[in-house]
Amino acid sequence: MRLRFARALAPLLALALLLGVGACSKGNAGKIRVAYVTNGSVSFWTLAAAGAKKAGVDLGVDVDVRMPGDPTAQQRVIEELLNLGIDGIALSPIDGKNQAAMIDEACARTHFILHDSDAPGTKRRCFVGVDNYEAGRAAGKLVKEALPNGGKFQLFIGRLGQDNALKRCQGVIDEVFGWTFDPARVTGQDQVIQEGGFHFLGIRVDGFDEAQAKQLAEASLQQVPDLGCMVGLFAYNTPAILEALRDAGKLGQVKVVAFDEADASLQGILDGHVHGTVAQKPYEYGYESVRILKALKQGETDKLPADGFLRVPFTVVKQGSAQSFWDALKAQLAAAKSSG
Amino acid sequence: MSAWLEMREVRKSFPGAQVLRGVHLRLQRGEVLALLGENGAGKSTLMKILGGILRPDSGEILLEGAPLEIESVDDAREAGIALIHQELALADNLDVTANFFLGRELRRGLLLDEAGMERECSRWLARVGARFPARARVSTLSVGEQQLVEIAKALGQNARVLIMDEPTSSLSLAESEHLFALVGELRAKGVSIIYISHRLGEVTRLADRALVLRDGQVSGELARFELEHDRMVSLMVGREYQSSEQRRSHARAESALRIRGLVVRAHPEAKLDLEVRRGEIAGLAGLVGAGRTELLRALFGVEPALAGEIWVGGEPRRIRSPREAIAAGLGLVPEDRKEQGLFLEMAVRENVSLGAIARDARCGFLDFAAEQRLVQDSIAALRIRPPEAERLAGLLSGGNQQKVVLARWLSLAPQVLLLDEPTRGIDVGARQELYALIDELASRGMAILFASSEMEEVLHLADRVFVLAEGRLSGTLDRPELTEEAVMQLATRSFPRLSA
Amino acid sequence: MSKNLGILAVLVVVFFTFGFLEDRFFLPGNLFNLIRWTALFGILSIGVSFVIITGGIDLSIGSVVGLSATLLPWFLAQHELSAPVALALVVIAALAIGLAHGLLITKLRLQPFVVTLCGLLVYRGLARTLTDDQVQGFGMGHSALRQIAKGMPCSLALLTALVGIGYLMWHSLRWVFPRTWRKGLLKTPGELLAIGCAALLGFGGLLIWALDAGELARIQAPAPFLILVVLAILAGVLLDRTVYGRHLRAFGRNETAARYSGLAVDRNVVIAYVLCALCSALAGVLFALDVNSVQPAIFGNFYELYAIAAAVLGGCSLRGGQGSILGVVVGTAVIQVLRNGISMLGIPDKLEFVILGAVILIGVAADEVIRRLVARRRLDARVRAAANATA
Repeated sequence: MRLRFARALAPLLALALLLGVGACSKGNAGKIRVAYVTNGSVSFWTLAAAGAKKAGVDLGVDVDVRMPGDPTAQQRVIEELLNLGIDGIALSPIDGKNQAAMIDEACARTHFILHDSDAPGTKRRCFVGVDNYEAGRAAGKLVKEALPNGGKFQLFIGRLGQDNALKRCQGVIDEVFGWTFDPARVTGQDQVIQEGGFHFLGIRVDGFDEAQAKQLAEASLQQVPDLGCMVGLFAYNTPAILEALRDAGKLGQVKVVAFDEADASLQGILDGHVHGTVAQKPYEYGYESVRILKALKQGETDKLPADGFLRVPFTVVKQGSAQSFWDALKAQLAAAKSSG
Repeated sequence: MSAWLEMREVRKSFPGAQVLRGVHLRLQRGEVLALLGENGAGKSTLMKILGGILRPDSGEILLEGAPLEIESVDDAREAGIALIHQELALADNLDVTANFFLGRELRRGLLLDEAGMERECSRWLARVGARFPARARVSTLSVGEQQLVEIAKALGQNARVLIMDEPTSSLSLAESEHLFALVGELRAKGVSIIYISHRLGEVTRLADRALVLRDGQVSGELARFELEHDRMVSLMVGREYQSSEQRRSHARAESALRIRGLVVRAHPEAKLDLEVRRGEIAGLAGLVGAGRTELLRALFGVEPALAGEIWVGGEPRRIRSPREAIAAGLGLVPEDRKEQGLFLEMAVRENVSLGAIARDARCGFLDFAAEQRLVQDSIAALRIRPPEAERLAGLLSGGNQQKVVLARWLSLAPQVLLLDEPTRGIDVGARQELYALIDELASRGMAILFASSEMEEVLHLADRVFVLAEGRLSGTLDRPELTEEAVMQLATRSFPRLSA
Repeated sequence: MSKNLGILAVLVVVFFTFGFLEDRFFLPGNLFNLIRWTALFGILSIGVSFVIITGGIDLSIGSVVGLSATLLPWFLAQHELSAPVALALVVIAALAIGLAHGLLITKLRLQPFVVTLCGLLVYRGLARTLTDDQVQGFGMGHSALRQIAKGMPCSLALLTALVGIGYLMWHSLRWVFPRTWRKGLLKTPGELLAIGCAALLGFGGLLIWALDAGELARIQAPAPFLILVVLAILAGVLLDRTVYGRHLRAFGRNETAARYSGLAVDRNVVIAYVLCALCSALAGVLFALDVNSVQPAIFGNFYELYAIAAAVLGGCSLRGGQGSILGVVVGTAVIQVLRNGISMLGIPDKLEFVILGAVILIGVAADEVIRRLVARRRLDARVRAAANATA
């Protein structure tokens, strides 16, 4: 009998413990409270979070940073935040199309903006981010520079479901083939295109598995001996490509175009193994998102961009600019860590 | 004499064996017919055909002279034939009533008529003399009580023929007595019973007639006055058979196993003291639940004793696990051969050598040559058939499986061998072989302590019998005073005997 | 043995089918990659097969891979520990994990599924927390250490020759010292075939190496493959030639009977989980050294499923007691050949799991069907023999 009582008690104790921990982390009433929700927790988001927190300090706003890694976790986080009565949320949706309903519901209940990856057609008030299509076109330019005489190229990415990924890929393809500026165009993942000296061999998707990313890069090198250029579109893709090239002894022979600012990618640029990278400015994402949320809360709609798209500029980093870019990045990250 | 129910020229073969080769069976109303034969003689197959579980290759079944088509269990039930399985087939998470009506539940509208079912079930339970409520959960019932549920269920479905396959194999003596009385009553009411049993004493006592099968054929039919032990066995094994002579005791003076104040978990209020000498064969008798198996399990450390002292070969030993028991010089041939004793999907070789490999190993590496020698020696010494080391243990007959388990223990040369129901489910011929083997072990000085529910076995094998009742040692019987009555007297001490 | 032959046949068929469909599949570079990935995943599969043989399961493998892959660069790059110290710490962590699994399962009698499921969550979270979710890597440094994963110690032909001829020599030892020769077993067709294969591989490899013949001679053996070969030999010996292995199998077949037989069942099971965790950590370290970019949140996700699939494909039964190291390694190879072939053939990545799942299912189903057919044929043969005897 007593044992049964103890057994009933155990979950209760656990619950009490959780509540206790939860209660301790509460605080600061009265201030504007906004949430900055990412789509994962890699170093890119550490920088973004640092930006968001900095904006919080500068603008006197409480910033709650959450880093859910999949759509389900995102939904749960959003629901929790809404139930907490948060004043504003900035989200980087993983799968914008299918999360549209959730986004619209959140828009109805609080000030809601998107960052990093957009979900066109939803009621979101604003989108803060790089224009991925334009960034893709910038990467496409790098491909053309790397292969002045044309050649075969292939794209490597972790997921295709999210808007930024699709736009990024499309931008590269459109720019390389010199197609018109049309962010809505969609080229199939397994399509092969040969036009004007360039030969597009499709998009390799690794499902967010680094070892698989490397395996795919290796397989491509084996399969296409005269591969001209490999484009790594997620941060970890380029390091995986570089490892595969190193193993195959083809560093420098096959051109590489990177996206984002992984250490290995920047080192690759310095070593001359990577032609260049299109770097986003995650810090700005965070800072700008919080700024806009505060403006929305205070009804200062004039501070919003007219077309609802706050374009955060991206930078193209090549050998000449790599060192200074990297140093600045390190400083930013160090500052973020010491404050965070 | 025309029979009420008749099976004619029934033949059946399975891939690998022709099991029935033209069997003829007649049954009168209100008759108890014993069906005898060694394992594999075809008894169960014949009864499964009658019960509608198997279809015969050829042959016919007549009821009151008219052909009867039995193609399914439902057909058999329709004809009033019910099979009480050797392994009881009740859903033990449900209560008695639910089992009683399983598949033919009473309804009132869309809902179950629980009250009606309970009434009906209680009526039939009373008729078979059950003393548990109709709402009792089956898992709380003893095997004997579950059997009563099966019988009541069959009668409730208007059964006129009951087939009982080894009904007493898991029953206590008292429960068996109750069953015998019930069989008598049912016979008087005109129910016919086909009774399959290895226990020839029961057959002599209950049966009106016996049909003996051997190798799928009828080897003989015995009338009531012909039901003698040796005669039945002769027909079963196919040669003249004489009960072995009274065993000679090999008991020596030195103590092999002594326990004092041992308390087992199942009976924390009782303390046990007993002693077995070298070369002695001691029996543990008692009703089911008297604590025989629990005592052996405690001695062997499977369920360590709560208190008490154990001496093996004169030395005090602490036994908290089978490992410590083995180190102390004990061995246990457990009750459930397939579950506790054998590795059915492993070869005879691996089964036999499992105990000795650790001893023979060099730095943890197996000594295959030593293993091979051990296994060949064991197969020869224990006459394991077929003598193939690589055959899977699961493919052997019950008797040979038991020899494999024995061989494993013998390879470790324990001072004391504990056996729990050593011949359960083993047929007559193989039993004699095992008895001889046990006798031989004792003659070499090994002490044997065995538990058995079979009176014949206890009387035949034991030099001395410890009788347990409700976890206590209710008495010790030495050879001269060892009779069935004396054992029963002690076994039922302290609780009233059921009416016989 | 017949099971091993079956899966070996599958490997050969799949391998040559892909080769036939895409000739670049046979390029030395691709074969080298294939062997390396097989080695990395094979280490995981060997580890889990010990657990599966006990009738248990380890779902935490992927997370242990993730944790150890995270810890090594974290110790080296962030905490600037020396390589031996870092490696020792990773080993200690794996030991602790395996011990925790084993003790919870044997002493507290928790179900392996539950224990290792919780492990899956805990170790992943631990890896993320320790590193604050930052990508870990060795950068350009630690190139000596990275040789463990990236080195090419010898040519594949030489390694094959050594293994094959080593096997033959060990067999002939059994003839020279008949005391250790297991009577009767050599007559089985399986064993004869194994000797045949060993001879073919051994002398074939030797010939290619000695003659330095063409492309084949130039394929190097990746260092992880060398590790796999050594590990597989050790594991095979442990499983088939020691008391421990025999007791483990017995336990997997029938836990109750093993207890009644006085085996040290708890200790054996704990050791199995420790071995599994150690193998996972070893593979994790090698993965990290190879890939050089470890995202704590995702590295090694779902690798337990590859490991379990390979073990099952290689003849382990999840009911316990059954399985051989050779089969498991070949099973891993089948899966890796499939993955590689799918991407080489340009089959959409989307279809990868469909094909993998289907092949594993077909393999396991075919094994079951064949087993029943063989049993049936044996039975029929016995019937015929009996009929002849009576006739």
